[in-house]
Amino acid sequence: MSQLTRHRWCLATALLVPWLVLASPGPLKLAGVPPAWAVLWLLPWALVDGPLSGALAGLGLGLVLDGLHLGPISEIPALALLGWWWGRLGRLGPPIERSFNLGLLALIGAALVGGSLILQSLLSGGWPLQPALHTWLAQTLLTAVLAPPLCSLQLLLWRRQTLGGRS
Amino acid sequence: MPPGRRNRLPALGGIVQAWPWVLLVLALVAVRLSKGAGFSDAYALLSRPFWPGSAQGEWLRSAEILNSQTRLSQLEGDNRRLRSLLKLQQGSPGLVSAPVISRQPGGWWQQLVIGSGELQGVGPGLTVIAPGGLIGRVASVTPSTATVALLTDPGSRVGVWVSRIQRHGLLTGIGTSRPVLRFLEKDPGVRPGDVVVTSPASTLVPPNLTVGVIQSVDERSVPATDAVVQLSAPLEAVDWVQVIVP
Repeated sequence: MSQLTRHRWCLATALLVPWLVLASPGPLKLAGVPPAWAVLWLLPWALVDGPLSGALAGLGLGLVLDGLHLGPISEIPALALLGWWWGRLGRLGPPIERSFNLGLLALIGAALVGGSLILQSLLSGGWPLQPALHTWLAQTLLTAVLAPPLCSLQLLLWRRQTLGGRS
Repeated sequence: MPPGRRNRLPALGGIVQAWPWVLLVLALVAVRLSKGAGFSDAYALLSRPFWPGSAQGEWLRSAEILNSQTRLSQLEGDNRRLRSLLKLQQGSPGLVSAPVISRQPGGWWQQLVIGSGELQGVGPGLTVIAPGGLIGRVASVTPSTATVALLTDPGSRVGVWVSRIQRHGLLTGIGTSRPVLRFLEKDPGVRPGDVVVTSPASTLVPPNLTVGVIQSVDERSVPATDAVVQLSAPLEAVDWVQVIVP
């Protein structure tokens, strides 16, 4: 694991996620809802670096993002699970690099993250369902749209850094 | 030389006939070398009757005046805004001014991050106001920042008061840009346009802070009437806030 972590600048790119979450750039929103930046970073990382590294990266990102947000609801379970799953996909099958595949995986990832948040909210009696569904749908669609260009670029950069890259 | 062929020289008549073409080529070369001299002058001479005259000059002058007026109004607006910010920054006792450094009014969490924290005396639970009225309460603090849970956050509950009908209600965030005001009784007589302020009975926020106006009323809601409230502080545009410290 962690061929990428030997290159510290690769790991440092994870700092972009909380930065983008806080900056919340207006042009990259759909109906006022930003994309799931964590999903867009975690997907290529896990595909390149494997399940353990992906799960740990998901855990780390989840910890940071939970610290930035209000309330007891957590992104950690979904992000860690996605990191592990995407890492397995990257290890077992042929290299995933097509735009459609990346978009589909990001869509599933964003849907899972949003779904886990809604589920936790329902269990704790928090959010009303209708606004939550609006946010879930907008974020999932926007993340899937942004994934092909952003994740392809990250995959390209990071696979070049890894000696054991599969491309 | 093979027999039967004669040595032929160019005819003098041919050369005489070709000299205009030679002159034309030389003229074009001169035009090329002089960057269009002659052509431009000829165009200027021919188009002179259609050059911009007094009417066009008036148009230009009026456009310049319009441009100046627009700039003037923009500068006046900037001046007013900066003066208000200066006033905000000077503040009054019990108020800590802070810039908004992160804004997330959409998405899963409805929150702001402001640039003042524990070191400036900001603590959890304190009331946050902006130009326009109440916007939320401090939810968490770091040494130099604080996270503000907006009134639109689903976890937000604030007691409010509609002065025209003398009724209390509970302002509840639902994750959209407009929170819902839940009254305690059916048919309280509220109508769109009524002003909502913080409740004099509230222990969470100071009394009589402006919150917003009633936008629509749902009389059929059970067990009591609901109303959608348009907040008076523009959450999307606010760039400085004040935290009311005890």
